[in-house]
Amino acid sequence: MKELTRIEEILLVTIWRLKEHAYGVKIRQHVSRVLGKEFSYGNLYSALHQLAAKKYVLKTLGESAPSRRGRRRIYYTVAPAGLEALEDSRELNDKLWMGIPRLAFDFDRDKSS
Amino acid sequence: MKSAPPPPPKIAAWLLKLAVRGEDGFAVLGDFDEEYAELRAARGGLRARLWYWRHGLRSVPRLVCDYVYWRVIMFKNYLKIALRNIRKQKGYAFINIAGWAVGMTVCTLIMLWVQNELSYDRFHQNADRIYRLTLEAHIGAPQSAPVAPTPAGPAMARVYPEILKAARMERPRRSLIVFGDKEFYEEGIGTVENSFFEIFSFPLLAGDPKTALTRPYTAVIAETTAKKIFGTESPLGKFLKLGDGKDYAVTGVFKDVPGNSHINFNLLRSFETLVAENRAATENWFSISTYTYLLLDEKADPRALEAKFPHFVDKNMGPTLKAIGGTMTLRLQPLTRIHLYSDFALDIAPQGDIASVLLFSGIALLVLLVASINFINLSTARSATRAKEVGLRKTLGAVRGRLVGQFLGESLIYSLLAMILAFLLHFPGLRLFGRVIGRTMDKNVFQVPWMAPALLGLALFVGLAAGGYPAFILSSFHPVRVLKGQLRAGGGVWFRRILVVAQFTVSVLLIVSTLIISRQITYVKNKNLGFDKAHVLVVPRISAALRRSYASVRSELKSIPGVQEVGASSMVPGRGISRSIFFPEGFSEEQPQTMDVLSIEPGFLPALGIQIAAGRNFSETMESDRTQSIIINETAARLFGWSDPIGKRFVIRPDPEESGQTTYFTVIGMIRDYHTISLHQKIEPQLIQYDPDSVSAISIKLAPNSLPRVLDLLKQAWKKLEPLGSLDYVFLDEVFDRQYRADERMKAITLHFGVLAVLIGCLGLFGMSSFTVERRTKEIGIRKVLGSSVAGIVRLLSKETVLLIAVSNAVAWPAAYFLMNIWLRQFAYRTTITFWVFAAAALLSGLTGFLTVSYQSIRAALGKPADALRYE
Repeated sequence: MKELTRIEEILLVTIWRLKEHAYGVKIRQHVSRVLGKEFSYGNLYSALHQLAAKKYVLKTLGESAPSRRGRRRIYYTVAPAGLEALEDSRELNDKLWMGIPRLAFDFDRDKSS
Repeated sequence: MKSAPPPPPKIAAWLLKLAVRGEDGFAVLGDFDEEYAELRAARGGLRARLWYWRHGLRSVPRLVCDYVYWRVIMFKNYLKIALRNIRKQKGYAFINIAGWAVGMTVCTLIMLWVQNELSYDRFHQNADRIYRLTLEAHIGAPQSAPVAPTPAGPAMARVYPEILKAARMERPRRSLIVFGDKEFYEEGIGTVENSFFEIFSFPLLAGDPKTALTRPYTAVIAETTAKKIFGTESPLGKFLKLGDGKDYAVTGVFKDVPGNSHINFNLLRSFETLVAENRAATENWFSISTYTYLLLDEKADPRALEAKFPHFVDKNMGPTLKAIGGTMTLRLQPLTRIHLYSDFALDIAPQGDIASVLLFSGIALLVLLVASINFINLSTARSATRAKEVGLRKTLGAVRGRLVGQFLGESLIYSLLAMILAFLLHFPGLRLFGRVIGRTMDKNVFQVPWMAPALLGLALFVGLAAGGYPAFILSSFHPVRVLKGQLRAGGGVWFRRILVVAQFTVSVLLIVSTLIISRQITYVKNKNLGFDKAHVLVVPRISAALRRSYASVRSELKSIPGVQEVGASSMVPGRGISRSIFFPEGFSEEQPQTMDVLSIEPGFLPALGIQIAAGRNFSETMESDRTQSIIINETAARLFGWSDPIGKRFVIRPDPEESGQTTYFTVIGMIRDYHTISLHQKIEPQLIQYDPDSVSAISIKLAPNSLPRVLDLLKQAWKKLEPLGSLDYVFLDEVFDRQYRADERMKAITLHFGVLAVLIGCLGLFGMSSFTVERRTKEIGIRKVLGSSVAGIVRLLSKETVLLIAVSNAVAWPAAYFLMNIWLRQFAYRTTITFWVFAAAALLSGLTGFLTVSYQSIRAALGKPADALRYE
């Protein structure tokens, strides 16, 4: 089983969610929103390169827009291998958290305060 | 939107652009622009600009890291493909890498040697201001030597203010050293004036350089010799006994003489010792055997100084020179030119010469050039077979830049592997090379600071050049045409042919030279020398005490079973000669005759088996033989026109500076000519006198096959006769043959380079033939289908090679004949150049060339025609 890093997981889910709108700007904005802090293009693209090299995502050269001054978008879609990895990751998360109620944390927090 | 979008902040955009590459890079820039435009519309220009700057700066480092990371991954990919190619084509890769590596190794070895030769004597602080006195004289015969009259140095320093210091040196010799119960023979025992250490930079580790050698019977010794004698004790103030039986006080220890010094010595005694022993001899202007070094003032002009020397010679030696009808000129020789630019017959030590430095540099360059061109050629020929791979890759969408990178990377890796191999080969190579040139190299490639980086640069350059052709030319081919087989790399066939001819010309030249040189060496070693050099043991130097009791020494040694004859002489063949002028009967005072002089006692002639042609040998019992008789050789008789020399007389005039009377010598015998020195020199007229006081070497003729036993007995007998020092001996045949060491070395050099040249030539041929075979695959297939035999196809494919090698031979033969004639001219006695050496070289080159090519052509000819035709 291939394990995903946290950032890879976030990106894969985002791309999957954004469907046909998954390109640089949209992905970055979505991730920033989820994380609650600004996510840089540097981090975004280096992670995307890794995902592409592992064949988890596919790239397609898309259209441009006037505001992009002629530079074409690259659209990302989750490849079959990526989907598999996502499923594995979800399973792992479920297994990991199984049987742990949210209360346990509340209890802990009370005790420490 | 109607108008063009507002531009983002210029500097930030420029920074970003620098950090990104390729398609993805454009997307990143586009993303930035898009979001910038969005923000600008929603929240205004300032906020948008701030955003652009902040995000740009945060992204750049990460983007750069990312780019570098992927480059490294790509490089690993090239490496993997290159290694896979090597594994796939083991034979080819091995030949290509090994050939280039050997070329680099040979080149570095030779450059090391050249660098060492050029560095001679330059380590002295005053190297540019040190000169040696040399002379050109005509006394009976022309002579030149790197020595000066013994009193000349100090006299000059007194007369000419531009000479700051003068130091005289007696040639270092082998001598006995005794300290306590230790006694051994050491090379390089010299005699110098104290100023020697002020002129040269031979640092003293102990003792005072200003006073170390100012008193008689003092000596300074080399560090290593000091350790050998005294171990860890301080040598200062201790006393050593040298071969002359005198005790010398050790007053200093000097650092071992570096290998690139033209003088080499391990112990120096003071010149004052000679003055104390025989002041008259050191003040005699006609005692000419002293090496004199001068330190000039910084502003002095050596030419102007030299111009004053004729007056100096005239003033000090004029009358005597006039009396004997001689002339003498003194010259200044710059220290830094001694090693490479002087060719005196007898120098203080054997020196190098600039001709061989140039020759070797030429060979190094040639080897490097040929090896690198072969490497490039072989890579190119191989890459032609990959034209189709390139076409396929291009159809599949490979970018040209990536193909260029792939090919360049591959050949770079080959070249760098070759460099690593060259470094590995360097150390065994250093040892082999040292053996070939006859001395050990004191530096390796890593100890000369510029050499390893230069080699790296070279490997990179050749790697790029070799990859350049496939990288830029193949990758530019139109894929469709390549795949259809319309485009083949075919250029440079003539270039390749010329290269093969050049390489084989050099090979043939070296093979012919090797054969001729070894024929000549065999000839000189087997020629009848006029004496019997086998089974003769020589004790080169005996003490004065032993000389005085020679008669009893001789009878003692002769009584040992296995000793056939014992004789003594001033010289033995092969160990130098001494010449003087004489006035034979029938020649006037203005016609002095130069002759070799030898002093012997009667046993010498039978001990060496020298035959008497007329008259008789000296006799111990005839007192007059010692004072009035001489023996001459046949050459002398012929030269003086004496058909019957017995009874002819020689006039010996007294030295004009000393008083004495004219005496006469009568010829009592004539010996058959024998070679006193190597066959490089003609036999000169010789005069032999019976003079027991001048003999210094004992020759002992042994019975064959009795050596080990007799040697033990001789050593025991010697112990009784000579309390000081054990028996120090050499064998006459070894001494004599040592004179051909330079020729043997020449043979070793041509042989080794010859083998190398053949190897490299075969590499070039291999590259060319694989290329040809590749190009004619289809043709071969068709020929086979039409009924051609394997032999016929091999003949077809080998024809060109055989022709090229024939051309090489045609070029090399006259060149070899010419060069070898020059080389042979240094021998007075030489063999003839026969035809078969050329035939042998032709056969050898033709055969190796043919075998190299047939590997390829037989493989092609044996292939199934269907495969060949399907090939495209």
